[in-house]
Amino acid sequence: MKKKSLVIASLLLLSCEGAIKNSDAEVKEPQGAEVEDSTMASQESMENQETETKVELPTEKVDILGYWVGYFEPDKKKIKDFNEMWVDEGFNWNRNNKINISIDRVVGEQVYGHSVVAGNDRPFEGSIKRIAQGNDTLYQIKAKEPGDDQYDGAFEFSIENGQLKGTWTANRNLKIKYRIYELEKKTYQYNPDIMLTHAGPYVNWTKRIDKVETYGEGDEVEEWIYSSYGSATDKIYKVNASNTLLKKGDVENMKKGDLTIIRNTIYARHGYSFKFQPLRVFFDQQDWYIPVHTDIKSEFTDIEKENIKLLMKYEKNAAEYYDSFGRG
Amino acid sequence: MKLKVLRFLFYFLFYLALAYYSYLMLLITLQYIPLRFDVAFLHIKTDEIQHTYYQVAFFTHVYTSMFVLISGALQFIPGLRKQFPKFHRSVGYVYILVLLLFSGPSGIIMGIKANGGIYSQISFTLLGILWMIFTAKALIAIKNGNWELHQKFMLRSYALTLSAISLRLIKQFLANTYSLPPMDMYKIVAWAGWVLNLVIVEIYIFYHFRLKKS
Repeated sequence: MKKKSLVIASLLLLSCEGAIKNSDAEVKEPQGAEVEDSTMASQESMENQETETKVELPTEKVDILGYWVGYFEPDKKKIKDFNEMWVDEGFNWNRNNKINISIDRVVGEQVYGHSVVAGNDRPFEGSIKRIAQGNDTLYQIKAKEPGDDQYDGAFEFSIENGQLKGTWTANRNLKIKYRIYELEKKTYQYNPDIMLTHAGPYVNWTKRIDKVETYGEGDEVEEWIYSSYGSATDKIYKVNASNTLLKKGDVENMKKGDLTIIRNTIYARHGYSFKFQPLRVFFDQQDWYIPVHTDIKSEFTDIEKENIKLLMKYEKNAAEYYDSFGRG
Repeated sequence: MKLKVLRFLFYFLFYLALAYYSYLMLLITLQYIPLRFDVAFLHIKTDEIQHTYYQVAFFTHVYTSMFVLISGALQFIPGLRKQFPKFHRSVGYVYILVLLLFSGPSGIIMGIKANGGIYSQISFTLLGILWMIFTAKALIAIKNGNWELHQKFMLRSYALTLSAISLRLIKQFLANTYSLPPMDMYKIVAWAGWVLNLVIVEIYIFYHFRLKKS
């Protein structure tokens, strides 16, 4: 009997933890960007090296090989009930995502490549036609994704004068079935010194903060609800977590939004393609940012690994305790 | 008559709030049971918690302060003091001994190593020192049979004990209204958390004992 009541009492106490902290707060590393145990990581990278010495597949040396980058936009003419997303006054998302169409190989009439967009890395293959136009060549490409992913579809584009232009149609009836794009050729190289530019704000619309204010006296009281969203400050333009080892003093006065952006900028420098929409929209606005990989686990430098660990710790603390009674 | 009702209401609300927030403090304490170095506050104390002296200070403070908070609360219930003086005395010894031997000294050590730089370090260290001085003075006063002085210093001592709660309440309020950066907020709270309590209790002491005399 005594035991039973003890168990009940302890359960009661545990379930009330929400009164002193935000127990549902979660800070996670995105899929494919987890910092691994150093011993395990080195083992795996050794294995990777072994497999990476695979035979190079044949390709013709054409100047269209490489990354073509730009916005993958909904084709509003073809989509009947297209709606933009309005988060708050002054902020909206037109559902554009930055895409990287990589043309990897051209063999005769065949073209092979892959595209990286919104955390999705999918191969494609198809046909290529070359039409001579004076000194230039116009390329016409029709290519298909394998079809075993719900977001697979077919590309149709042409390349002319250094611009890639075309359409994409999803196999299934997605909310946005038709896309259009105009891409430019870009090269990607990891650069730890690159910094964010003032291209656009970070608005985390999944975290809504409501503030209620009341005005007036007596019977005539008006209530206003102000909504704001998780956001970041100017600190994100000054702190670089890829080339500087951060110390406690650098991060302890930062709010969660700043910590999150500074950590995710490490991923962005490695060309990580973001699944989480608010982060994707934010980094897509950065000129230098190119989505290249969905798995960057083995790419982190030692400085970055240490910084990610530190930043995550403070993010978790901020999420759990910043505005609650308890303190971390 | 009206004064009596008001006084009763004040005590009632005060104890209700105290009971609730003591319960929250208990929940905070329970986060550290079983003994672990990687939870809650210790997440942002990773350098300090490597050292044995800090481990001893931190866990002494966390595990003993709850007793100070609760034993202190019992001492201000008006009827209890007069009807059960023995009970008042033994609970008082628990309060004084636990505070002077454990919670106080460990609090000072933590204060010296507080987050937020020199501002909060001075604040928390001073808080610990005053806390012990007031308590010791209250003990000496009652040993000398000076009831009034004992009462005054115990009120001051417990006002500082309650800074554990007021500090967190002010932090919660500031975070939800002004959403300041965490360490800026911490520096403010480090001082506001106990200075406000002391000001309130001094005002109370001033009027309470003046009213009694006149």
